[in-house]
Amino acid sequence: MNFKIRAASKEDCKDISRMIMELAVYEKMPDQVKISHEELQRDGFCQNPFFQCLVAEVPEEQKSKEGCTVVGYALYFYTYSTWKGPTVFLEDLYVMPEFRGKGIGKGLLSKVAEVAKKKKQCVHLHLSVLDWNTPSRDFYAAKGAQDLTVTEGIHVLRFDGQNLDNLANEAPKD
Amino acid sequence: MASFILRRAEPKDVSDILRLIKELAKFEEMEEKVILTEKELLEDGFGDHPFYHCLVAEVPKEQKLFILLKFNSRCSLPGYTVIGFAMYYFTYDPWIGKLLYLEDFFIMQEFRGLGIGSDILKRLSETAVKTRCSSMHFIVAENNTKSIEFYKRRGAADLSSEEGWRLFEIEKADLLKMTSK
Repeated sequence: MNFKIRAASKEDCKDISRMIMELAVYEKMPDQVKISHEELQRDGFCQNPFFQCLVAEVPEEQKSKEGCTVVGYALYFYTYSTWKGPTVFLEDLYVMPEFRGKGIGKGLLSKVAEVAKKKKQCVHLHLSVLDWNTPSRDFYAAKGAQDLTVTEGIHVLRFDGQNLDNLANEAPKD
Repeated sequence: MASFILRRAEPKDVSDILRLIKELAKFEEMEEKVILTEKELLEDGFGDHPFYHCLVAEVPKEQKLFILLKFNSRCSLPGYTVIGFAMYYFTYDPWIGKLLYLEDFFIMQEFRGLGIGSDILKRLSETAVKTRCSSMHFIVAENNTKSIEFYKRRGAADLSSEEGWRLFEIEKADLLKMTSK
């Protein structure tokens, strides 16, 4: 199978949005997807974008059953380690089921690693995976990923909704 | 009662920030892992495209002395007034949009229990809401029960326990292997 990995453009946002939803369905949380492709475009293609995105594209003659040629994506952004400096967080990596097993996922991950190394000298790459998602955990483990939740007991915490608003309302005034 | 101010970090604060980063790393028993320098902190946080933002907590010199005397401390800190910091940056969730990520958060031991940590968290929450962030995320080691209780008292959800999210890391050597293939 021929495929090409390239930087996403504004015009790819509809396809990226479609695949974000497909990934959310796979992760059993489709009702948690709240933003539209227009918002994605605004946030990813403004002067100071909040994320970077790569897409995997196949030629027209190899398009999906539904006629899609953009068949995978990797969404990432730069973060910071107070111990070591710039790092990269791979937020989403997804390849449509009918295009798996052909090296596209590996191609996307390698490209993120390459960009992170060249542009920002990133010291490591972080990502989150659901505990039941064995295929993904195995995929990343094969590339050398360590599960910090297991090895160091790291838990991810969140403040949102009313809890975030309550804290914000109590903020000390200048 | 000690007074303190919370303010945005300035370039002159990098030496204090690095000192506090190392104190936090020491508390986590990982002091030797801090390889960042003041020069890198300065370039990374105060250049054209900063990687991070930072709040610092500062006490007036006179107040600092008051606290040391009150607690009969034999601490011989050479005039530090920056006694806490919080480092954060903006991340992105393709489901809900922009998030505020709290990378590091530390108050010197002598200055805990005064509401400084609480106020920092509230200020960050205010920043999150003002900048259109849907939530604030951070990580905590599961054996750091004091910190977990601090956050949970204020309504934090543990996504690792509740939704099964695990944090993975691919280190530089393995990243380089991927790019050389």
